[in-house]
Amino acid sequence: MLDCQNITFRYPNSTTDVFRNLCYTMIEPGFNALFGPSGVGKTSFAKIITGDITDYDGEVRIDNMLSPLYSYNMERLPGWSGIGKHLKKITPAEKQDQMNELVQFFGLAECIDSRFSQLSLGQKNRINLIRYLLQDFDMLIMDESLANVDERTREKIILKIKDMYPDKFFLYISHNVIEVSTFCKEILVFRSAHKSPQTMLIRGQDHRTGRILNKSRLEQTMLEIMNAS
Amino acid sequence: MLHRRIYQFLIIYFMALTLLLCIKYALGLSSYVIPGPYEIWSTFGNVLRRYMSDVMDTLSVAIIGQIVSVFLALTVGIIGRQTTWFGSFVKVAAYNIQAYPIVALAPIIFILLGDGFLSRLLIAAMICYFPLLLSIIGIMSEPVTDIEHFYRVTGRMRWQLEVKIRAFENLSKLTTVVAGSATLAMAGTIVSEFIAANAGIGYSIRIALYQSDLSKILIALFLIGITLSVYQGLLETTGSVVKRLWEIR
Repeated sequence: MLDCQNITFRYPNSTTDVFRNLCYTMIEPGFNALFGPSGVGKTSFAKIITGDITDYDGEVRIDNMLSPLYSYNMERLPGWSGIGKHLKKITPAEKQDQMNELVQFFGLAECIDSRFSQLSLGQKNRINLIRYLLQDFDMLIMDESLANVDERTREKIILKIKDMYPDKFFLYISHNVIEVSTFCKEILVFRSAHKSPQTMLIRGQDHRTGRILNKSRLEQTMLEIMNAS
Repeated sequence: MLHRRIYQFLIIYFMALTLLLCIKYALGLSSYVIPGPYEIWSTFGNVLRRYMSDVMDTLSVAIIGQIVSVFLALTVGIIGRQTTWFGSFVKVAAYNIQAYPIVALAPIIFILLGDGFLSRLLIAAMICYFPLLLSIIGIMSEPVTDIEHFYRVTGRMRWQLEVKIRAFENLSKLTTVVAGSATLAMAGTIVSEFIAANAGIGYSIRIALYQSDLSKILIALFLIGITLSVYQGLLETTGSVVKRLWEIR
């Protein structure tokens, strides 16, 4: 379980808080999102959860799970070996099959022998996400991890992740209102610093493989998010 | 790379020589002050073999001094990259010692070790070591966050991997720094020979200075320049070959 209580944070040398008394709880596994315009503190909040930012007020409790992993969309793989070689090296032996499945499903089989620098931005982000999914984790924060990936592939990937890891916690940071409304269970909407309350929790459609998406409910969720932000 | 360095040196050298000759003819100076083209050419023929062997002697000392410096700077730089008290101590010490003109210590070295090979080597190594160390510490202590992040959060980061990532990402910079340090090592060796040693091209320049023979000095400068250009060009070529091999491994 993740429990954040009364988190207040401001950047060093700044006079205004990024957020004040933020509370957020994730009790059950699932695919949740942090949503909001740039600069409202989504990444800072994610880094508070992972412990990369420590100078904040409030309390973060992580019970019965490994410390969260944080992945972001500008990460790179070392250039001295091919992607396949790199993935094999960082994948535990028992997950080699899972690695092949993910590579195949994420549409990266044909570029497995390439160098990271030879890939497109979307391919780079997909490879980076795969290597995180192959680690031992209970919670994965995906900070725009699917940026530059086309909508159809993104949809396929999110559904696959939800199918493959039903007992893991995911926090997906995205600017795509349709995506978070469709696939996420709960969406924590970050609002501008002058608005109160500063965050709002909206229930998403939590769409999964094999379920029929209710269009009118989806539209309602999207409206709620837009009104909140 | 190699050809470019040689061309560049030849252009600069002959431009400077032309300027010197222009001054000679414009001011009507005698060949005793600035020798004419013929004197320079005949001196070239007379001293080429001896001076070339002197330059090779100096270059060999410079190369050994440089190799010692590079290994020492890499070792200390790798230790100094850490944010521990020892790392900070190494950085502060390097910055402060680098600010001091090391060549001023040369007389002490000659007094303690005499005028042989060891003194020349030590001065060459000392002169190129501190700038090298500063550059290597700078490169090694700069995190490559977008690559290192994954290894840190998954607990896979080891110091060897950290050094490998930073070296790979900065290989061009490292090559430039090492090639640049060749000039410093050569300068250090020549200065030490000029001050007190009894061998090398610096020693021959000192003799030519006592004889007021500018043509010999010009020949010595030409040979030093050409040799150094070839050596630096080879270092740069080696750097780019290493990078290419590392990338296609």
